[in-house]
Amino acid sequence: MKSKFFALLLSAFMALSLMAGCGDEKKEAAAPAAPAAVESASAEQPAAEPAAQPEAQPAAEPAAQPAAQPQKINILMEVVPDTDFVLEQIAAFEKETGIEVVVEAINYASMHEKLLTQLLSRTNSYDVIVVDFYWVKEFADAKWMEPLDSYIKDSAFDTNVYVPTMMEMVGAVDGVTYMLPFYNYMLGLVYRTDIFEDEELKSEYEERFGREFILPDNMDDYVEMCKFITEKKGETLAGVVMQGLRPDPITMEWLNYFFSSGADFFDANGDVTVNSPEAVHSLELYVDNMNNAAPAGAPGFGFDEAFNVFAQGNAASYTTYNWMLQKLDNPEESTVPGKVAFSWMPGGISLNAGWGWAIPHNAPNKEAAWKFLNWVESFDVAKARAMAGGCPTRADIFADPDLLAKYPHYEVVLEVMAKSKMFPQLVEANQLIEILGRELSEAVSGSKTSQAALDTVAEEMRKMK
Amino acid sequence: MSEDGGKAGNRIGDGDFSRPRRFGGAKTQSRIEAVQFMSLSLIILAVCIAGPMLYSFVASFFSANLRNPGLGEFVGLDNYVNSFKSPYFRASMGVTALFTVLVVVLEFIVGFAIALLLNRKVRGKNIFFSIIIIPMLISPIAVGLTWRLLLHPKLGIVNYALGLLGLPARAWLGSAKYALGTVIFVDIWQQVPYMVLVLMAGLVSLPSEPYEAASIDGASRWQTFFRLTLPMMLPNILVALLLRTINALKTYDLIYVLTKGGPGTSTEMISYHIYKRAFTYLDIGSASAMSYLLMAIVMPLSYVFFKLSKNKMN
Repeated sequence: MKSKFFALLLSAFMALSLMAGCGDEKKEAAAPAAPAAVESASAEQPAAEPAAQPEAQPAAEPAAQPAAQPQKINILMEVVPDTDFVLEQIAAFEKETGIEVVVEAINYASMHEKLLTQLLSRTNSYDVIVVDFYWVKEFADAKWMEPLDSYIKDSAFDTNVYVPTMMEMVGAVDGVTYMLPFYNYMLGLVYRTDIFEDEELKSEYEERFGREFILPDNMDDYVEMCKFITEKKGETLAGVVMQGLRPDPITMEWLNYFFSSGADFFDANGDVTVNSPEAVHSLELYVDNMNNAAPAGAPGFGFDEAFNVFAQGNAASYTTYNWMLQKLDNPEESTVPGKVAFSWMPGGISLNAGWGWAIPHNAPNKEAAWKFLNWVESFDVAKARAMAGGCPTRADIFADPDLLAKYPHYEVVLEVMAKSKMFPQLVEANQLIEILGRELSEAVSGSKTSQAALDTVAEEMRKMK
Repeated sequence: MSEDGGKAGNRIGDGDFSRPRRFGGAKTQSRIEAVQFMSLSLIILAVCIAGPMLYSFVASFFSANLRNPGLGEFVGLDNYVNSFKSPYFRASMGVTALFTVLVVVLEFIVGFAIALLLNRKVRGKNIFFSIIIIPMLISPIAVGLTWRLLLHPKLGIVNYALGLLGLPARAWLGSAKYALGTVIFVDIWQQVPYMVLVLMAGLVSLPSEPYEAASIDGASRWQTFFRLTLPMMLPNILVALLLRTINALKTYDLIYVLTKGGPGTSTEMISYHIYKRAFTYLDIGSASAMSYLLMAIVMPLSYVFFKLSKNKMN
């Protein structure tokens, strides 16, 4: 009898181990250490102890208080080039203020979970966090971010310097400023300029389609052109490289087709229109391009795979982030420097995207955190970051002659940004991305029609409202 | 010390620790001491496992969502019923079942074959053995990332090698037709060493007398294998299959790195589905219900395996 009981107990523990596996596994996809990490910016878990950190004294200069305990702030960031540029600047802030800065840079896929556990607890290890644009409503509604209006007023910080679409996306929510826009990663079309100089392609294209061989101004013609290039160049040069991995890569990419085809998530009455005829057509175009123009395997491509194909010179166009141009123009990272350009999406409307700086509601040292934000977003510091290759969010930096001399394409980026659309600010945005990723992938794999896939998305969105 | 002099307790896969006689005959004092020694482990178990288990069990009857404090509204069995109604949950159950059966069977066959080969007197056996267990020592995330690079349809070495052999390139992870098979292959690559390790341990510990007797009686190699090795190895085999089945059912890492459940839902397994429910949807209520449904499948399975394993041993 007892042995039966023990066997049962052991069975239960086996099952328990399974549950533990299901519950809270957190996998960081081998986040590489930030290459430019300065000494103060270790990638280790910050060991912030709120009790050990004295409240900052805003009016006092740290240098004037030698007896005061040194202050420290911890920042959670993503492993991206813009983080590296910040890391390079931190020493100057530490020297200026005496506040030590520790940056933990992790892989994007782990960020939301990591932030969630920190924001839900009474105290937080982080004084400053970066917030992706589609977490904004979720974080604001849950009151997880400190309203910054009083800090902004006290420091006379001018938020009008930001590009309005950036401030709207990763700045204020319902009239309250929770974030300062950090960097943009608006999408657009990166393409190979030398393709249009290929005489053979040009003559055959013009003969077959009866129009000039230039970048088309609508998605239908663009998909046709991509298929044409793949047909002609085959293995060596696909018309387009795409990223069909669930959930973010495919969603981010398709939304450019979606907006550029004249579709939107809601109509003027707030009704869901994600399965409108325009939207369905945009998905049909996307699936057509994926299956008939992109390289085999693109439905499983993530960011790295797609980038590598383009950087190796195996694709003619690529819907991607505007900052990718700097990388593709860099001979150390790409085989096609000098042959790439950034443009409007054919159809004209890109997905706007960006990150904002925020102070968590439960941050241990909010005053010091604001000092950092105020400094890092000042004109000189933000400009230095942009000159190093970071993506600006301030209009005055976009217009800066030095920056435009170095990166002339920012003129186009700013124009595209002004017309770009953002992902709807929903509390369930993260969930919607997941649903979109799944359904778009179903359409690409042929398990569902474009109409059926978007009908499912619409149904799920109505449940959210 | 057990009554059998601890012989049974020295064998891998021995479930004998459940026998009451381990403490049998001990005085009350030693029982108290035993409890004292175990108390720290028991407290840790209670806090780390029983506590969250209890919480998730309660949460499975509520509309618990991480966005809102507390457990939310009481919804009775709705979370369980809705999980069954969800085509995606059902699909993930199907994918998980297919994956588990295939990887466990194939890993067992390959693992047992390698273990039998290594159990013979082969020169350089230890070197082979060391090389074979390397995949098991690598983190599944690293394994997934490495294979993702190797399997890149245009830039990966797998398709390049196939091209040299005149075989067509395939979209290993980008096609719903091949993605699950590819994930299964990667899992087999990584987990066969585990099977080899467990089965080798069993083979090494088999007594030599029955083999000598069989040899004298003129048994063929096949007869020796089917009449002696296999029956004597059965407890080890069952334990290996049991543990591998449970591990395969909760496969998460490989899916996360290789496919994220796609293309479509062709590789979406239960663990990944539950994880998304909990940490993307923040829907702790239904994620807990799904976890308990999964447990309801695993519990009887592990109980049956243990029963079988014990019977064979006794």
